[in-house]
Amino acid sequence: MSVMSSVLFLAQVQPVPSPAPAKIDPPALDAVWPILIVLAAACVGVLFEAFLPRHQRWPAQVALSLLALAGAGVALATYLSDAPEAGEMAMFNTLAVDRPALFLWGTLLALSVGAVLLIADRSVEPGGAFVATAAIRPGTVQDRAQVTATGMQTEVFPLTLFALGGMMIFCAANDLLTMFIALEVLSLPLYLMCGLARRRRLLSQEAAVKYFLLGAFASAFFLYGVALLYGYAGSVRLADISAAAAGTDRSDTLLFAGMGLLVVGLLFKASVGPFHTWTPDVYQGAPTPVTAFMAACTKVAAFGGILRVLQVAFESTQWEWRGVLWGVAIASMVIGAILGLTQTDVKRMIAYSSVAHAGFLLIGAIALTDRGLSGTLFYLLTYGFTTLAAFGVISLVRDSSGEATHLSQWAGLAKRSPLVAGVFTFLLLALAGIPLTSGFVGKFVVFEAAIDDGMAPLVVIALVASAVAAFFYLRVIVLMYFSEPAADGPTVTVPGAFTTAAITLGVLVTLLLGILPSFALDWAAGGAFAIR
Amino acid sequence: MTPTYYLLLSALLFTIGAVGVLVRRNAIVVFMCVELMLNAVNLSLVTFARLNGDLHGQVMGFFVMVVAAAEVVVGLAIILSIFRTRRTASVDDSNLLKY
Amino acid sequence: MLVAQSSDVSSDLGIYLPLVVMFALAAAFAVFSALLGPLVGPSRYNRAKFQAYECGIEPSPQPVVGGGRVPVAYYLTAMLFILFDIEMVFLYPFAVSADVLGLFGLVEIFLFIATVGFAYAYVWRRGGLDWN
Repeated sequence: MSVMSSVLFLAQVQPVPSPAPAKIDPPALDAVWPILIVLAAACVGVLFEAFLPRHQRWPAQVALSLLALAGAGVALATYLSDAPEAGEMAMFNTLAVDRPALFLWGTLLALSVGAVLLIADRSVEPGGAFVATAAIRPGTVQDRAQVTATGMQTEVFPLTLFALGGMMIFCAANDLLTMFIALEVLSLPLYLMCGLARRRRLLSQEAAVKYFLLGAFASAFFLYGVALLYGYAGSVRLADISAAAAGTDRSDTLLFAGMGLLVVGLLFKASVGPFHTWTPDVYQGAPTPVTAFMAACTKVAAFGGILRVLQVAFESTQWEWRGVLWGVAIASMVIGAILGLTQTDVKRMIAYSSVAHAGFLLIGAIALTDRGLSGTLFYLLTYGFTTLAAFGVISLVRDSSGEATHLSQWAGLAKRSPLVAGVFTFLLLALAGIPLTSGFVGKFVVFEAAIDDGMAPLVVIALVASAVAAFFYLRVIVLMYFSEPAADGPTVTVPGAFTTAAITLGVLVTLLLGILPSFALDWAAGGAFAIR
Repeated sequence: MTPTYYLLLSALLFTIGAVGVLVRRNAIVVFMCVELMLNAVNLSLVTFARLNGDLHGQVMGFFVMVVAAAEVVVGLAIILSIFRTRRTASVDDSNLLKY
Repeated sequence: MLVAQSSDVSSDLGIYLPLVVMFALAAAFAVFSALLGPLVGPSRYNRAKFQAYECGIEPSPQPVVGGGRVPVAYYLTAMLFILFDIEMVFLYPFAVSADVLGLFGLVEIFLFIATVGFAYAYVWRRGGLDWN
């Protein structure tokens, strides 16, 4: 101790002359305006919450969120018009703004428009799907009063924008530290948003607790992986890890232990395979608009991160880890398809469907080819819009206690509301991957890329799993069309403009990408990850 | 200084935290175990920074601390809200969502 | 170690003089304050003052074993404290390398403080700082 302090003391009195430090210039911002706009709008949203009177908050927040998404979209389009083909590094090399990142940003922004519209809707559930004051205890007099009140916790809008900003950083992160911060920025708002449902508050709070505890557990794994890889490569830059792994003189223990822990954290966020246990509970308990946002956008961001990590950092060691991820993909598809069969709740059923889809997406992600990359990106786009619209439709079928999500309540829905039943049928067919929907094209390109990369057995298993999964989608369709409606069954709410717009957006994109997929496939195949 | 000891201690702390998350019943204690895991990572980071002879690991330690603080706040808020309803923070009692 | 110029350290003890003076001043101030207090201050005794010193004030109302509850406001204050306390950790590396970072670093740190300020404004306006 005394030696140490005297050394430090000496170091202060007689500083070692060091060379004049290099001047640090402010970074160029043109590539990252979309992120900056979203995050700045989130900060403004916080100020709105602080200074606007209660009745002005909802319109101000909705306008701000939609404006921010539009502004970010315009900034993205402007940048795209003369973006360098090979991508570029931004913000001191922490962000890689390349074609896949730009594609994912566009996807995330477009999906968020739909999600914000669903979140903002106040006609389906009078006053919105969110609790008036989150601090009200479930089951109390105040809780019964707030169910019929018209106010809502408008903090959900800035939280959505913060989460979106985190997702956009996540899929462009060029080093693991940035990726970790982005992971937390996207997760923390989602934990809170899960607990804000207006009805069934206990379920909602329970979903938030489960999501939070398991999410924090998973990010600790992610972080330990980061630390081990830092010890292995001496840097957390993805390109440096790749370069270190290409040399052979270092301890493989650190590399593979680090990679294993890192990938577990990522797979958890993407709700893949055996790391999915939070998914059904959280999807069911969270308010349906938040579930739509989570299901669509988190999946896109998480797989964006997985693709980048696998392709940039671990490409050179792929023969060591590929077998393990084969197993994970198989587990995910089997779990999703089999357990999906046994579900009696629509939201849980879609959750297991998302686990199965995560398995399909992982097949594309471990095909480390350009076609694997573009196929997975396209699959993410199609899956996001279909799921968003599906949850939008689920929020419409209601009875006196809120949403009627039990499957038996959906019996004979086609007789009450042919339009809603028809739209939901179309979306389920897209999730099952029937031709003329986007789901078919997505599965096709991913499986084709996988066969090209020598993964034919995996594709066979995936086809079997798709067939099993198709059975539970068809079961719902049969239930809606060929069952007698129950006497006291749910009613189908006529949605307001916002929800209608969101569902229409999802259905149109699903249809369009099913019939004319080539333009989106070209975008997705625009270029590979920039490795620097 | 033998860095291996620090790394072993870090791995041990991480394991204790992970096991704690899996076996403890109280949500607050589970959460404290997660914090233990994060701090074990911090120990690894600064040890590796020392080994590598750069400051990146230490700066990462700062970021981890800040993120952990943000996580504490979000987590306590969520756990507290469910505790006020149920008068218990046991994770076994959160059993409405299943199957 | 890092930058120790070990060759002529032991011979030249003069550089420790400022440290010694500082310790002496500190000790002198402590002794001075301890002696001065009883001389100039009023002496009003009560029961609590004769008890052994323990850190902190007695909680009021007293927690009952098993049934006592800490008020929720305490958690709120504690959480806010943790948050704003830890955020400031970034000021330390900035201060250490402020000259290297130059104007850019200064602008960045003000942006950072402004962001924390937004959160503070929210907490303040929404009553997070009121105890009741």
